[in-house]
Amino acid sequence: MTETTVGIGGAAGSFGAGTGQGTDMVLNIGPQHPSTHGVLRLRLVLDGERIAAAEPIVGYMHRGAEKLFEARDYRQIIMLANRHDWLSAFSNELGVVLAVERMLGMEVPARAVWLRTLLAELNRVLNHLMFLGSYPLELGGITPIFYAFTEREELQRVMEEVSGGRMHYMFNRVGGLKDELPAGWTGRARTTVARVRSQMGRLDDLVLGNEIFRGRTRGVGRLDAGTVHAYGVSGPVARASGVDFDLRRDEPYLAYGELADVLRVVTRTEGDCLARFECLLDQVHNSLDLADACLERLAELPPGPVNQRLPKVLKAPEGHTYAWTENPLGLNGYYLVSRGEKTPWRLKLRSASYNNVQALVELLPGTLVSDMVAILGSLFFVVGDVDK
Amino acid sequence: MSDDAPRSEPSGTASGRRLPGRGLAKGLAVTLRTMTRRSVTDQYPDALPELPPRSRGVIGLFEENCTVCMLCARECPDWCIYIDSHKETVPATTPGGRERSRNVLDRFAIDFALCMYCGICIEVCPFDALFWSPEFEYAEEDILDLTHERDRLREWMWTVPVPPALDPAGEEPKEVAAARKAAERPDPPEQPGTEPGRPGGRGPRREGEA
Repeated sequence: MTETTVGIGGAAGSFGAGTGQGTDMVLNIGPQHPSTHGVLRLRLVLDGERIAAAEPIVGYMHRGAEKLFEARDYRQIIMLANRHDWLSAFSNELGVVLAVERMLGMEVPARAVWLRTLLAELNRVLNHLMFLGSYPLELGGITPIFYAFTEREELQRVMEEVSGGRMHYMFNRVGGLKDELPAGWTGRARTTVARVRSQMGRLDDLVLGNEIFRGRTRGVGRLDAGTVHAYGVSGPVARASGVDFDLRRDEPYLAYGELADVLRVVTRTEGDCLARFECLLDQVHNSLDLADACLERLAELPPGPVNQRLPKVLKAPEGHTYAWTENPLGLNGYYLVSRGEKTPWRLKLRSASYNNVQALVELLPGTLVSDMVAILGSLFFVVGDVDK
Repeated sequence: MSDDAPRSEPSGTASGRRLPGRGLAKGLAVTLRTMTRRSVTDQYPDALPELPPRSRGVIGLFEENCTVCMLCARECPDWCIYIDSHKETVPATTPGGRERSRNVLDRFAIDFALCMYCGICIEVCPFDALFWSPEFEYAEEDILDLTHERDRLREWMWTVPVPPALDPAGEEPKEVAAARKAAERPDPPEQPGTEPGRPGGRGPRREGEA
């Protein structure tokens, strides 16, 4: 690997100097930059081609979601909550309704529980496929994203048929789901899952085995388990560093408790960019298996409703609760404090990307600028989820 | 880049050393295989997508059903529905009867630049005056033109599809259940003043009349 140090003007005098000495070169990446997704801004202090310090500057997409929640009732909150991480809308909605249901002590019909599990897993596949396609794109491979989007399109069609939305499903309601399934949907979902599974090999062959891709990601951006714990990193990024923690197994919600034999928590120990990518790819395979298992159980369930009759004005009783779910990108938590009104008094949102992005402070120093793109992309974050 | 720790290689390369460039060749094979297949891309403006009936494209207004109850405007999370109305008095129909007042819709507009496409307005409408239509081709040059007034919203009504049949494993929709119960109910004993065929003088309950 070659390293060139180029100094111009005042920077020429500081050859070999570390930070603090001479003139540092400060480089802004973003908020509008092709290698960042959305509007994340990074302030890099460079020493030649090497990054001496990095600071993610967040907040360009801050909308004050938590404050907006306080002026919305529990149905309107779902609309806001599914937007902070626009790639995992269904899972985001889930956290809100689970919190409210827990406060109300409400029992959700069995069919709704299994359907929610199924749709959450399909949403996970959709989310992961996005990153499986966009990450090679950031590293210079244009083709994989087209394959990933072919699969995404198939799944989105299934999701759109049931919920009416392609990204913001608005399909969860307190007490269940908004609507009954259209006739024949389960069959179409089954075919789609099978077709997506049969096409996943293309990404294996095209990306994972590619020498250039492996060369750019292996051993790059190593994240150790200590940093994972220190920064509250979660999800596939944490599991790639050997942190074996998955809420679906460790604190089962929805129907995951009964899916223990299908659920496989994917972990890696290397903690580099390649490990993170492999985790994501493996999770897709497992999520498709989980989706199949859910569809099988749904077929066996006795006929029943998919939601509860709700009162005209839904009020959560006074108290507080914390509901967290294993979102595609990591832990997503809602801390709900209610004073018995129809709006929450406070709804704190803990989003996965916010913590995952903080790890850049530790990951980037010491790496080359060209590796920054690889590391940045491999943290799999959505800027809306960072800035909310 | 040195290959330090041994790690699992993708399938098919279990035996020790890999042939250099093998991964690239495999990738090219994928590309070649895809080249021989038909393209999956729909040529959009020529080929229109087939959208499911639940697809949330645009909101249609069935004006005749609207009673100006304002529920949709109040429940909208970002208040993008504008409704103006005035009251009119309807003269008494029977001599000596009371005059009644009734709401008349003056303006019904939805600002699709603000709309978040959540569908809460359609869900809360107790009189079935709002519907989703999968139509989506209404992009505008000027953002102000995205506010669709009542005549434009009325036009969308013609594109509203029939809702899909429901999964047989589900519960009967409550409208159907109520109608079936009413039909199965044995006729009550004839009472003076009630028309025959209308049990108890009240029809099957409609959704929203809690």
